[in-house]
Amino acid sequence: MEKLKVDPITVEVLGNALLSIAEEMGGTLVRTSYSTNIKERKDCSTAIFNEKGETIAQAAAIPVHLGSMLGICKEILEKYSLEEIYPGDMFIANDPYNGGGTHLPDITIAQPVFYEQQIVGFVANIAHHSDVGGRVAGSSSGDSTSIFQEGIRIPPIKILKSGVINNDIIEMILLNCRTPSERLGDLWAQIASNRIGEKRVGELIDKYGNSLFQEGMSEFLLYSERKIKEGIKKIPDGVYNYTDYLDDDGIDLDKSPLPIAIKIEVSGDRILLDFTGTCKQVKGGINVVKTALLATIYYALKAVIDPSIPSNAGYYNSIEVKAPEGSIVNAVPPASVGGRTDTCQRIVDVIFGALAKAVPDKVVAGCNSAVSTVLFSGIDSRKNDFFVYPESLGGGLGARPFKDGMDGVHVHVTNSSNLPIECLEMEYPIMVERFELRKDSGGAGEHRGGLGIRRDYRILESVEFASHADRQKFKPWGLFGGKSGEPGLFIINLEKENQRVLSSGKVSEVVLESGDILSAQTPGSGGYGAPLKRELEKILNDVIEEKVSQDLAEREYGVEINLSKRTIKKRENLVAKGDEV
Amino acid sequence: MGYRLGIDIGGTFTDLYLFDEINGKSKVLKVPSNVNDPSISIEEGIQELLSSNQVEPSSINYLAHGTTVGTNTAIERKGATTALITTKGFRDLLELGRQARPSIYNLFEDKPSPLIKREFRKEVTERLKYDGSIDKELNFEEAESIIKNLKTQNIESFVVCFLHSYTNPTHEKQIKKLINKHFPDIYVSLSSEVLPEYREFERFSTTTINGYLGPKISQYVSNLANRVKKLGIETLPYINQSNSGVMSIQTTKENPARTALSGPSAGVAGASHISKVAGFNDIITFDMGGTSTDVSLIQNGEPKITVGKKVAGFPLNLPMTDVHAVGAGGGSIAWVDNGGILKVGPHSAGATPGPAAYGGGGLEPTVTDANVILQRLNPNYILGGEMEVDYEAAKQAIQDKVANPLNISLSEAAKGIITIVHSNIIRALRVISVEQGFDPREFTLVAFGGAGSLHSAYVAKEVGIKHVLIPQNSGILSALGLLTSDLKMDFVKTRLLNAKEENLEKVMSEFETLSSDGINWLEKEEVASSKQKVEQKIDMRYLGQNYELSISLDCKLNTREDLDYILEKFHKAHEKNYGYSNPNEEVEFINYRVTAIGEVPKISLKKYRKDQTDPYKARIAQRNVFFDKEEKYITTNIYDRSLLMPNNKIEGPAIVEQMDSTIVIPPGVSAEIDEYLNIILTL
Repeated sequence: MEKLKVDPITVEVLGNALLSIAEEMGGTLVRTSYSTNIKERKDCSTAIFNEKGETIAQAAAIPVHLGSMLGICKEILEKYSLEEIYPGDMFIANDPYNGGGTHLPDITIAQPVFYEQQIVGFVANIAHHSDVGGRVAGSSSGDSTSIFQEGIRIPPIKILKSGVINNDIIEMILLNCRTPSERLGDLWAQIASNRIGEKRVGELIDKYGNSLFQEGMSEFLLYSERKIKEGIKKIPDGVYNYTDYLDDDGIDLDKSPLPIAIKIEVSGDRILLDFTGTCKQVKGGINVVKTALLATIYYALKAVIDPSIPSNAGYYNSIEVKAPEGSIVNAVPPASVGGRTDTCQRIVDVIFGALAKAVPDKVVAGCNSAVSTVLFSGIDSRKNDFFVYPESLGGGLGARPFKDGMDGVHVHVTNSSNLPIECLEMEYPIMVERFELRKDSGGAGEHRGGLGIRRDYRILESVEFASHADRQKFKPWGLFGGKSGEPGLFIINLEKENQRVLSSGKVSEVVLESGDILSAQTPGSGGYGAPLKRELEKILNDVIEEKVSQDLAEREYGVEINLSKRTIKKRENLVAKGDEV
Repeated sequence: MGYRLGIDIGGTFTDLYLFDEINGKSKVLKVPSNVNDPSISIEEGIQELLSSNQVEPSSINYLAHGTTVGTNTAIERKGATTALITTKGFRDLLELGRQARPSIYNLFEDKPSPLIKREFRKEVTERLKYDGSIDKELNFEEAESIIKNLKTQNIESFVVCFLHSYTNPTHEKQIKKLINKHFPDIYVSLSSEVLPEYREFERFSTTTINGYLGPKISQYVSNLANRVKKLGIETLPYINQSNSGVMSIQTTKENPARTALSGPSAGVAGASHISKVAGFNDIITFDMGGTSTDVSLIQNGEPKITVGKKVAGFPLNLPMTDVHAVGAGGGSIAWVDNGGILKVGPHSAGATPGPAAYGGGGLEPTVTDANVILQRLNPNYILGGEMEVDYEAAKQAIQDKVANPLNISLSEAAKGIITIVHSNIIRALRVISVEQGFDPREFTLVAFGGAGSLHSAYVAKEVGIKHVLIPQNSGILSALGLLTSDLKMDFVKTRLLNAKEENLEKVMSEFETLSSDGINWLEKEEVASSKQKVEQKIDMRYLGQNYELSISLDCKLNTREDLDYILEKFHKAHEKNYGYSNPNEEVEFINYRVTAIGEVPKISLKKYRKDQTDPYKARIAQRNVFFDKEEKYITTNIYDRSLLMPNNKIEGPAIVEQMDSTIVIPPGVSAEIDEYLNIILTL
């Protein structure tokens, strides 16, 4: 192997040290933040950049946050010349179109790191603020039609100048938020986190000297580049296509379906992802800006190619992306973006779908791939107080080349935890009637798709219901003969006289009265491989475990089951169908 | 007066520590662990230790035992066939958890499947509201028929978990009666008894682990008690638990989950005790073994207790010693990855084949092999001469797998492996210190485990630590730690109340109930009243927050002044832990916690008389040892630890060898032996 400028041991140690700093920044942010969203759900990320604003090291983070990290320093350096940036400055931004953000609740704060009067890098962190103003509580809503309805927009501006806080800006931000004291606490935590990062990077440079530090950072980027290129080389050269469809945008329900199309070209160590053919941006808030698209792609390729690649610019720069401007995957102002994760999730599915033809043993079948989110708001008469209760639900993770999918999990770019039932019943006038896996929602296959979730909410006092969710019309697809999983749905008063199914996954201002039951049923996921190849023992076990009904099992898998005797046998006269996608 | 005996079982060895109450001297023994029935190795170990020291079994006054049987049973999934009875609509709660998947990027890493099969997770009609009032009555007929139907299924253990049962256990208790009626002798765990705390998934999970381990642990501790009795030891053994306390055989049978993460707690207790005696109250423990490193932070002599760790991937919300583990050990394998960078771990060569230098057929280069090449480890033999070292095999492995691919020299490769394993350890040290708001420079590093003292001087230097303490018996610290632990049992109750004067009566009544439970337990454990102690804690938060701080309560809460006092303590703790406080904001009480403590007499370590400063008597050899900063091999004095005496001083470079570990003293570092035969390094 060719000799590196900095030896491979120092590169590893330096990379470790930078990661450790990013983690300490994250620890500080979580520890000193105010809101539950950051403290308990850890909805935040931290990173370190070089002087060009390229990401060097990023703490284990929410994948979609990568997007804001990609944008922030670039936007700062476009707006400010190096002469206009001083030690102790800090920049704040959240705007998807001018501030590198991906949606408004994610506020990024970045600080330049100086060494001997020179900018040597940046540190930054991002926190999901639970409200930044706008049309609805919580800011993000499936049915906002413009970014202006989604909260305060902040371009990159100095929140600190030479170490002095600019209170005017803080006042202005707080006035635009519904829960200002919580916001202030979280902003302070973000500032504290950067200060720690800046100090630690300085100490690291003291130890290694600036030139070794800089060269080490460059080598660390080259290292990621080598790793991703090694990975791409293992993908057979070729052109791979896939198209999947979003249900609707929650506004123009007749404009359905909404295609997301991809063409992936692989040649040697190059990979190009081309989204030509994807639908135009839409009125509803499921548009994705470029940085969020990139973050999603980086997630998907890392998961397929090599989960151990450090998330940094050396990796990012090796990926080529073509996305038509003004499309749903590269939106332009004033498109609303609050529900962007539904689309991000589907982009990952589309990438997996295309790559299935190239690397069938590295991908999973179609997943629940929405962030099925329900939101209840109203007055709790016990406390005589207005409340907003959002909850996002997982679903099936697609079947895998060597095993079944996972039941009832968050997939792809999110992985948040839900609020315990005992907490939510204490806090809100709502009871959960059931929380269980949806039988028969996983697609049949040699490997079965993961199951979706059913969660029923009993309303105790009149509330307003809103949601954003997808995959209620287009099923999570199977691979290589595996069957599709079941789509999701929201039903009010299931199997009662006044039952009604909601027309879209994206609704708002639906009034639910005391006694109503809202049943949120999330999508399962697709199967992998022909059902007839499934081991009999697994089919029987699924039926015993009531994850698959006897009916469906006998139909899809061509078997006869005697449940009381626990026996299973193949029906005769069956011919296995060939493998097909 | 007589003897006190601590026995700690690990995966490979069973360690015994015998303490003579008359003269303060100790005897130690290591025997191989019997994997099939660990209590056999205990019996053999005791016999050997007692007979070789001419100690009568009847003179053993106290016996404490630490075991990994609970942890291993959960990890290997060899527990009881368990059934769950739960609220209608919630049988999947154990499987869904909080919906998070274990790895964000790895599509193939699974959530562990629940310890109870879905087939045996049964729902009955009943429902409580958040305040404990009844929403739906328990349907007895339905419940009884479900339980009866399980008769044919060879169920060995029952777990009963209803929503909101922490505030009203009636339905769970009624189910227990029904179970007892049809399964008279079966093991039953109620969530309202195992962990009467809110947040259903964590409570259900903890209760499930308890039920899953129950039959096996009960059997194990019964066997142990019988074997000990057969040997003529009259005292009943005490069992170590995760909160670094011990409990009786009977309590263990009822609370097996409390042993599930007890492994590291005795070592931390031992390190803490020795350090306190030697005058160090603020320490970071650094326990490096063959496959992993455990670190923990101790302030004011008190190990940090935490809740919310996991065992075998499942939440176990019982109080336990806060230990952070990282996959860095002597057996960690060095490898060059596809990006051309040197990595160390997390894979380990384990006990078999082991490091290449151990001659067991290992071909992968490990941290141990690097230490052999640098001659920090004796390149000819270790374990006091009992085991030969295969220097050539170590050389071959590092040359082929590291030096050649990276185009660097053998010693550069060996040094590189050490540098990287240090950086992995330093990250772990930072997690428990700076990331929690502690400055490591204010702490002393206490190094133990087979590999701790090989690396302690370098990692201490990197994080700014000034002193390293290496205890005399650093290889059997857990067995010693068992003899420093009190009897302990934790009691908890959740009840959300605003921190207002009108609620104080309710708070006090919760504490009275918990305290009397605590005292009753101590009485049952036959602890003399002069040795009984009850500690109270109250979990508090600002209204609307979703996380709590545990505040210790050292007074009654009767008056406005008492309330102000505890609120003040809470605000201060919030400031310290989270960097801010809001004295004007409303505060809530969440959980009431009582720890009942039965003090046991602690071992008092023997003080040795001071010797002269020059340790020439202990100097046994010289060899060339590679040191990092100097980047070369230096002629270095080798000392025999067993010959070192208090007041001896050694200037680095030096190596101290002892039976089960080696101490590296780099140039510029000085070492001194204290009166308890600890080695104190000053950096």
